[in-house]
Amino acid sequence: MENEVLTYDALVVGGGIAGEETALNLAKMDYKVLLVEKELSIGGKMILLSKVFPTLDCAACITTPKVSETARHPNITIFTGSEVKGIEKKGERNFEARILRNPRYVKEDACTGCQECEPVCPVVVKDQYQFDLVGRKAVFVPFSIANPRIAAIDIENCSLCGACEKACPSDAIDFSQEPEEKTYQFKSVVVATGYKLFDPIKMPRYGYGKHKNIITSMQMERELAPTRPFNTILRPGDGKMPDNLAYVLCTGSRDHTVGNPICSQVCCMYSIKQAQLLMGALPMADVTIYYLHIRSFGKGFNEFYETAKGMGVEFVKGKIGKISEKENGNLILRYDDIETGQVKEVEHDMVVLSVGILANDEIGQVFKTQKLEFDDYRYVKQIDELKRPAMTNIDGVFVAGAASGPMDIPDSILSAGSASSEAASYLAEVE
Amino acid sequence: MANKAPKILVFSTEKISDPAIDLAGLLKMHYPPTVYSIPLRCSSSVKSRWIMHAFEQGFDGVFIAADGTDCSYGESCVDKTAAIIAQTHEMMKAKGIEPARLKMAALCSVCAEPFVKHMKSFYEALSKTPA
Amino acid sequence: MKNKIGVYVCHCGGNISDVVDVNKVREEAEKIGGVAIAKHTIFACADSSQKEIAEDIKNLGLDGIVVASCSPKLHLFTFRAVAERAGLNPYNYVHANIREQSSWAHSDDKKGATEKAIALVRSAVERVSHSVAMEPVSISAKNITTVVGAGVAGMKAAIELADMGSQVYLIEKAHYVGGRTSQWGELFMPGETGKSVVSYLYQEVNKRQNINLFTGAELVSKKGSVGNFEIEVKITPRGIKKDADTSGLEKAIQVCPVEVSDGFNFGITKRKALMNYHPGQFPEIASIDAATCTQCGKCAEVSEAVDLNLEEERITLQTGSLMITTGFDPYEPEKSEFGYGDYDNVITLPQLERYLELNGQDLVVNGKKIRSMAYIYCVGSRQPEGENKYCSRYCCTSAVHSAIKVREKVPEMTVYHINRGIRTYGKQEVLYEKSSKNGDIYIQFNEDTFPEVSRNGKHTVVKVNDILTAGKELEIEPDLVVLVTGMIPRKDNAIGESLKIPRGRDKFYNEIHPKLRPVETTIDGVLIAGVCQGPKNITESVKSSLAAAAKTYSLLKREEITLEPIMATVDSEKCEACDKCTTACPFGAFEFIEENGKKVARVIESNCKGCGMCLPVCPTDAIELSGYTNTEIEGMIDALTESDY
Ligand SMILES: Cc1cc2nc3c(=O)[nH]c(=O)nc-3n(C[C@H](O)[C@H](O)[C@H](O)COP(=O)(O)OP(=O)(O)OC[C@H]3O[C@@H](n4cnc5c(N)ncnc54)[C@H](O)[C@@H]3O)c2cc1C
Ligand SMILES: Cc1cc2nc3c(=O)[nH]c(=O)nc-3n(C[C@H](O)[C@H](O)[C@H](O)COP(=O)(O)OP(=O)(O)OC[C@H]3O[C@@H](n4cnc5c(N)ncnc54)[C@H](O)[C@@H]3O)c2cc1C
Ligand code: SF4
Ligand code: SF4
Repeated sequence: MENEVLTYDALVVGGGIAGEETALNLAKMDYKVLLVEKELSIGGKMILLSKVFPTLDCAACITTPKVSETARHPNITIFTGSEVKGIEKKGERNFEARILRNPRYVKEDACTGCQECEPVCPVVVKDQYQFDLVGRKAVFVPFSIANPRIAAIDIENCSLCGACEKACPSDAIDFSQEPEEKTYQFKSVVVATGYKLFDPIKMPRYGYGKHKNIITSMQMERELAPTRPFNTILRPGDGKMPDNLAYVLCTGSRDHTVGNPICSQVCCMYSIKQAQLLMGALPMADVTIYYLHIRSFGKGFNEFYETAKGMGVEFVKGKIGKISEKENGNLILRYDDIETGQVKEVEHDMVVLSVGILANDEIGQVFKTQKLEFDDYRYVKQIDELKRPAMTNIDGVFVAGAASGPMDIPDSILSAGSASSEAASYLAEVE
Repeated sequence: MANKAPKILVFSTEKISDPAIDLAGLLKMHYPPTVYSIPLRCSSSVKSRWIMHAFEQGFDGVFIAADGTDCSYGESCVDKTAAIIAQTHEMMKAKGIEPARLKMAALCSVCAEPFVKHMKSFYEALSKTPA
Repeated sequence: MKNKIGVYVCHCGGNISDVVDVNKVREEAEKIGGVAIAKHTIFACADSSQKEIAEDIKNLGLDGIVVASCSPKLHLFTFRAVAERAGLNPYNYVHANIREQSSWAHSDDKKGATEKAIALVRSAVERVSHSVAMEPVSISAKNITTVVGAGVAGMKAAIELADMGSQVYLIEKAHYVGGRTSQWGELFMPGETGKSVVSYLYQEVNKRQNINLFTGAELVSKKGSVGNFEIEVKITPRGIKKDADTSGLEKAIQVCPVEVSDGFNFGITKRKALMNYHPGQFPEIASIDAATCTQCGKCAEVSEAVDLNLEEERITLQTGSLMITTGFDPYEPEKSEFGYGDYDNVITLPQLERYLELNGQDLVVNGKKIRSMAYIYCVGSRQPEGENKYCSRYCCTSAVHSAIKVREKVPEMTVYHINRGIRTYGKQEVLYEKSSKNGDIYIQFNEDTFPEVSRNGKHTVVKVNDILTAGKELEIEPDLVVLVTGMIPRKDNAIGESLKIPRGRDKFYNEIHPKLRPVETTIDGVLIAGVCQGPKNITESVKSSLAAAAKTYSLLKREEITLEPIMATVDSEKCEACDKCTTACPFGAFEFIEENGKKVARVIESNCKGCGMCLPVCPTDAIELSGYTNTEIEGMIDALTESDY
């Protein structure tokens, strides 16, 4: 590109809700922003959710307009499928970053998102945007509300057969694209890299990955989402509709044995939300939530919890010991029933593990001259949490959203607001 | 049709009472689907002729979801709306329309429950009132 | 009349289409006269659908569009922008609300919901067929913000706005800044004290030339609108002369004969009418509480710094926006609620915080050394009946943290936490873990069996059914009972009433939408932040106030605001200059001019807010409001009654 801009006021790393909100706030103050997202679409976890607590708005309805507004704002440039390779601080309001743009092997301006290429591609792999519930092709449009909604080729799995090239009506396939790495200048940096999900494979006693009808809460989000892979709620083992589901809260949270002593702050609420949605989708189904404490603390949250109880969602205070599988695919949960003090066993036909939120600390490697500090749980450290909540140990580098700790969407948006204000003050400072 | 469902027109306000009606939907609180709302800027901007027009066109009831003291345009809103209702009641009497077919109540922006209650009871009442 | 109208019916990914037969709605829409194209779409708001609509507008030369989807409160601006990008005037787009007001409201009646959706689409088409293009109006705006309430939220917002480049007025009702935070000692999480936080913020406020702090000040009225508010502020005098010799003030406080309960310490101590608020107060000057001062003059006799000519001042300020950060009151238990007010060893958590501050190295309450204590949680929160159904969010963590502080002073303390499920969310969990490791005893009850506090001779007895031990009934005899009281909205809501800030179901000030517009209210230019919007801890309050600062700054920085062009117009043919509209208009938007030798009313555009209050008062029906004309409204009514379903 000839007229490519190489200097920006702010680099925002991560295009989830927190990154988008930060970028938009700064753009509306007339600052120029570069938003770098490693995935093929912006939108983060939120764009893949079903509906969102506590209002039960569909996630897509709230997030897609934000996504479009971000994508369209004249002060914001977006690089998807890109990585920040190194950030060096040269002085105040002077950062230099190397950014790698991975090729899509599809011409962005030519692709219309018609998906003609998908049926002809012979390769089928697991679809990461459906959390492996279904397959996708090596050439694929990430998901129906992706932004940009254009195809990409997963070159690692591509057999280079060239079928898509022939099928594409707009000649958008381009195998000659190369990765591109360039250096850009910024006056400030906002880290909005979000969180990772706990992988329940690490808790063999639950049998996730072995017992077929155990899924994670994120997979259930996909089953419930408007852009869902199946048109209904299914047990992955045999495609049957479940009618007696169990939620196991605090999976991978509040648990020293997996190295995560803190509470994930959102799983109680999203499980209650999913339970409410399931009661709607499967009117005959029973839903039981096994919990230690219910943390419905935010505005409207406790009322939301009470609504779920009123709808007939069962809440059992109990600690799950072990989950085993029966021949018919049903699951036996052995648990410590806290209210009776007894160890009990119950049968459910589908189990959802409410997996916790973990820090995404990869961004640490990117800071070259001065190390970015993390807290005890590997979240980006807020060095003055009470008074300047977005400040990190590096002047001019700010943190937004779940990158600084587990939090829900309303809190991520406020956190992004604080990162924007603090960054704007830093940018306005004149020496 | 003898037992045709009564039709109700609600004049709501964009900032205060229409959000309450939305909230009723959000909370899945049901009310008859023959209730329709036209949001205005402020309840005291409703013209008598619009109300009369609604009756002429076949609405069985008209409900003014007033802003009450929450109105962001000023306190006088309630009194002004009440005056319009009073004046319209006279026009209705002159045309032989039962004044009870025009009602008003103040609804705050989260008054979803009161809204649904009003609609249900108004609907009931209108089902009983002979045309 | 338009004849190239496009109609887009949204499925909302099932939210609408699961109930409403969207295809039928589309088919019916197609039949309406003037409709050139009718489509349905999974997500009308998605980027690809937006593109499609824009392309249709361009390729088919659409002259009006109707989007039938969720409430216009969510996406009105989204679709206006689509129209604009495609070269269609945004006011030639009309929205039909078929989600909140049809599929969701009538999910129990699919047929009824579909019929209603069809009628709503018909009426929207009718409206758009009469719509006229309008251009937004620009007005100049002041890059000045008035922040009301100088707690942590207010002070932080003021500092950041000043740094970003705005002028700030910071109005605090008390004679001191800091709000509730100044009442707490060591805070949870990073081990700072309330005093250190407030002192830092106060110094930062003072450093900035572009912040004007008024203490003892209250906003009494507001005129004008976003960009150009005019507010009146009442300032209660402090009663202490500026730059006077303050050496006699300590003596003066001693001689003050008035003794009242000290609100700063939640009534556990007494104070005078002339007082120092607390040791770390800012500004660091004594003040006279006008409400309790008897004007006896004793203090003035011993200190020349005292000025008893207490005359309040009124000032007028011009401001572009208002940010409300007035915080909260702690819930005050009813008399006899868990023995409060009956037994002197039943106190609240805020009172415990003050005891811990005032006590030094022990915990002594009413002369008694405390060696065992029981916290009762959720007092005034999570009530099964009546008000306060919400969780107050801060209190579990705060109570657990206070128990850790207590044990630092008295290691042998026995501590019971009688709770309803501890909510130390997120990283605060480690405090709960620490307290458990310290040997604190956790007992849990359900909402159907609340604990009971009674007296048995000299002992206070707490009876509770513990669900953690299979519902066993326990009797505890603690030296001290601490009621973990929640947060409630400020009892004094004068500011809310005068600005008309909407309140939510929990009675805290309400945002427009918790995710899309969490710090804005339905009144343009009035923002809310901190606990006045809902319970929060300090970090969360500060984040929300910074989010509000970001919104405010982007609104005002260009010193120009675009307003909706919805305005009244007068048909001078019909006008008889009766003057009724002048009286009806709250904004003085009418003037009289000569037109063709006739005196007629005219609307002053910059004053008109488009409320429409003038419409019904005109005896000759000469006034119309753009977008809400007789043709539009009556056309909509006709369309709604077209089918006799
Ligand atoms: C199952 C589940 C259900 C939930 N339901 C709800 C709900 O109903 N309501 C609610 O309020 N909250 C809910 N949440 C929480 C919600 O997901 C988070 O609050 C929100 O996604 C946080 O947004 P974020 O932008 O901070 O992080 P993320 O959504 O994680 O976004 C981070 C973005 O940064 C990108 N990124 C990461 N590293 C890099 C890098 N090095 N370079 C470039 N880009 C990078 C990621 O690809 C991603 O796009 C739920 C969470 C889960 C797990
Ligand atoms: C017992 C207790 C312990 C706590 N401990 C902690 C802790 O350890 N850590 C933590 O993070 N949080 C703690 N909190 C929460 C913390 O107090 C709040 O988060 C914080 O005070 C909120 O700040 P704010 O500015 O929103 O409101 P406030 O602190 O209430 O400040 C509001 C300000 O507005 C002023 N005001 C009110 N009305 C008007 C008006 N009409 N005009 C002008 N000014 C007005 C008030 O005088 C006050 O100065 C605790 C709370 C309690 C009750
Ligand atoms: S939010 Fe609930 S489920 Fe998640 S870790 Fe915390 S207590 Fe456990
Ligand atoms: S935070 Fe804890 S004590 Fe406070 S209301 Fe919520 S559950 Fe009860």
